[in-house]
Amino acid sequence: MYKRTTKNSVRKEIYITAAVFVFIFVGMIVYLISFMRNDSKEFIYNSYNSRFSVFADDVTRGGIYTADGIEIAKTEKNNDGKEVRVYPDDRLFSHAVGYVDKGMSGLEAQYSFELLKTHITLDEQINNSLTGSKSPGDSLYTTFDYNTQKAAYEGLKMFKGAAIAIEPDTGKIVSMVSMPDYNPNTIAEKWDEINDESNNNSVLLNRATNGAYPPGSTFKIITTLAYLRATGSDDFSYNCKGNYKVDDYTIHCSSNEVHGKEDLTKAFSNSCNSAYASIGVDLDREQFIETANNLLFNQTLPTLLKSTRKSTFKLDENTKDSIVAQTAIGQGETLVSPLHMCMIVSAIANNGNLMKPYMADKIVSANGEIVSQTEPESYGVILSENEVNLLNSYMEAVVTDGTAEKVNFGDLTVYGKTGTAEYTTNKKLTHSWFVGYAEDEYGKQLAVAVIMESAGYGSKYAAPLAADIFNAYFDK
Amino acid sequence: MVNVLTTFSRITILSYIIIFTVIDLVQIFEYKLNETVASILATIQAVMIVLFLCNSSIVLYYAKEDPKILALMLFQLMFLAAFGIIINNITLPASKGVINNILLMLCFSFVFLERLNMARAIRQFIFVVVATFASILGVYILRKITKINQYMMLFALLGIISLLLVSVLGKVEYGAKLSITMGSISIQPSEFVKLSYLFFIAGCIVTWKDFRGFLIAGLGAALHVIVLVFSKDLGTASIFLATYVFLIFIAYKNYIVLTLELLLATLGGLFAYNYFPHIRTRFIAWSDPLSVIDDKGYQISQSLFAIGTGGWFGSGLTKGMPNKIPVVIKDFIFAAIAEEMGTIVAICVIVIYMCTAIMLFNVAFNCTYSFYMLVVSGFAIIFTVQTILNIGGVIKFIPSTGVTLPFISYGGSSLVSTMFGFMIAACSNDLWRVPERPRRRARY
Repeated sequence: MYKRTTKNSVRKEIYITAAVFVFIFVGMIVYLISFMRNDSKEFIYNSYNSRFSVFADDVTRGGIYTADGIEIAKTEKNNDGKEVRVYPDDRLFSHAVGYVDKGMSGLEAQYSFELLKTHITLDEQINNSLTGSKSPGDSLYTTFDYNTQKAAYEGLKMFKGAAIAIEPDTGKIVSMVSMPDYNPNTIAEKWDEINDESNNNSVLLNRATNGAYPPGSTFKIITTLAYLRATGSDDFSYNCKGNYKVDDYTIHCSSNEVHGKEDLTKAFSNSCNSAYASIGVDLDREQFIETANNLLFNQTLPTLLKSTRKSTFKLDENTKDSIVAQTAIGQGETLVSPLHMCMIVSAIANNGNLMKPYMADKIVSANGEIVSQTEPESYGVILSENEVNLLNSYMEAVVTDGTAEKVNFGDLTVYGKTGTAEYTTNKKLTHSWFVGYAEDEYGKQLAVAVIMESAGYGSKYAAPLAADIFNAYFDK
Repeated sequence: MVNVLTTFSRITILSYIIIFTVIDLVQIFEYKLNETVASILATIQAVMIVLFLCNSSIVLYYAKEDPKILALMLFQLMFLAAFGIIINNITLPASKGVINNILLMLCFSFVFLERLNMARAIRQFIFVVVATFASILGVYILRKITKINQYMMLFALLGIISLLLVSVLGKVEYGAKLSITMGSISIQPSEFVKLSYLFFIAGCIVTWKDFRGFLIAGLGAALHVIVLVFSKDLGTASIFLATYVFLIFIAYKNYIVLTLELLLATLGGLFAYNYFPHIRTRFIAWSDPLSVIDDKGYQISQSLFAIGTGGWFGSGLTKGMPNKIPVVIKDFIFAAIAEEMGTIVAICVIVIYMCTAIMLFNVAFNCTYSFYMLVVSGFAIIFTVQTILNIGGVIKFIPSTGVTLPFISYGGSSLVSTMFGFMIAACSNDLWRVPERPRRRARY
């Protein structure tokens, strides 16, 4: 009964058990590291996290700058010696930069942690803490271009809507405006008014990233692509009689214009609803859905931004032909954000390679040293070379010989698509869309998406604003 | 001045802990190491413990301006020295590495309780001293008992009755019945039952060595677990369950039984998930704490705020806000360590616990007598599972189960039982009384 068990070989189960536990310990360590690297920000920036107030005791919140070095948010002492956040340009960057009072939003919220960290030298920090003065926090350099932002803002000011411009080869967001806006300097005082139930302007909503609009004719880019992918060629011929009947529903061309015999280039540049309705009805539904999903519908957009809205595209085997016809011309139940449309155009401009959009370029210490820099990230190639070439030729025809031919884009080569989107049963009320990109003689590009709510024809309002944005950007 | 000291100390404290941890990773092979090398490494570790305690205490003293901290530090240093001397006098400790690890964990406990709640820190220090002497006394008593395995039924009875008492008389804390309060002291009997449970299972196995041992140990274990589930103390219930499963595996070396038991445990877990609403809410709080932050997810969210905001290097002692986390001195003390000393130190703490577990398994492997081989293995399993449940719950690796972190969390019962368990492991080769034969020493 008291036999000694000394043979080690019969006790190897102890180490098997130990190995199981070591495995779990290692798993926990890996989990903790991945939490710190990937998920911790979601918790740090949560408004329930009260730890920010502790940082603010030792560090003055850093400033926010445009890419060209203009300060657009700073912390100053007011007359009582209290620190206040000041936005020198008032409303110009309201949705892009956000606000600090009343719970933070935009870049102020996303980079709050970084702005309250300091990377000045250790002896300066020691000196500051000995003298009891605060250390300056790091600054955030954004990707915005001041003049481009100003052009977009001025052009959109009278309307509701949004304008967004992206550098296609990097994904840098050069300007982003959403209307109606608010003044971040007075947000605390106006808070109750803004959030009053009777106020249905939704001024806090960033329509550029979170708006949900019917795409109207700009969606013909997606329908065209679905057609190219389904048939494997750009052969197309259609005789437009000004309308298209499906079931007991009639789709009209804009102003009931009769376009006559068209190939795909003509149908696209004329924005011929009848031709596109017929394409839609003939398309294999699954192929249509697949193309839309390849172009990021029904999924979280691949960006480095904190909050964006998923675009919706609904279609299935049972959808009625009349609804498919409407969907093909960008009506129906499809809803997009301006950011999404801009990303599609930007991928076309960048030879099919979609770069993830971002607005925070780098964090710089008060001494001017770069603390961290965002590297452009590719989401992947979403369009083939052939598709890019064909779409380019159609979008160029819109500007040279189509719905936007009267718009003055100056010396730039512009590829685009206008849209006039109905959003109620009242056909007179329409949103004005323009999506497209411009290229200058050195090959530099800019993609934009503009939507002006209830403004009317895309060619009349949105396209000229896009021209202003292009000019401001390429002028510099 | 205080800020400079705190900022500077972040780096020094980090280096002590890293040095200690790296040595620990070598010390898990201490049975294979050259004796002089092992003892030099152990000495370096001891120096790191003292530096860690002194440096942290000085930071706390300047930040809180409380002279009690310096006085406590002196007593704590005396305790560390006394502990080292006593343990080497009563026995040849089966593992020197394990002793260092216990002492470092105790120092973490001292520092963070002083930081979080001074009154509790003083109480805990007294608990530590009491627990140490009680454990030494306990070891002396165990040495006097011959044929301890024959008392297994007594251990089972004692254990189940104490658990039943809690289940009937205990007061409900955080949804579970854990403790019995008598006057100003509250006792958590389940902590002591962990040890009696081990003696019971080891006794069954050593006495019968066949199917009977397995069956009776299984029945006893099931009774323990059922009472615990009834008290809604699911953390402890899973610790007891895991201990039984792996001890049977170590004793009978049967993979089929192990697989069947693990399968059964999984089914039990699914059953519990479907029939106990409070388990489901814990799962929701675990899978998406921010969605229920106002309610069930509050604690885990606060814990993750603390860990995330502290970052890799921590906010520095007293610079964070760990008191925002509910029950931080007990179940969530790991989050406080991660916040103020940083995630790197927190990872080191996990590694130190892992090494401690391996060292305990080493001791079990080298035990002369199979009864204590089983008791020490069982203790190693309890210690490890409890650590994993606690830290895993704090970092959202698994749903939180409300168990304490051995040696660091505040709590007297847990401290006494864990300390006693370690003392048994350290003296495991001196404990088995064989009548008529001279006592054997370990093969050092």
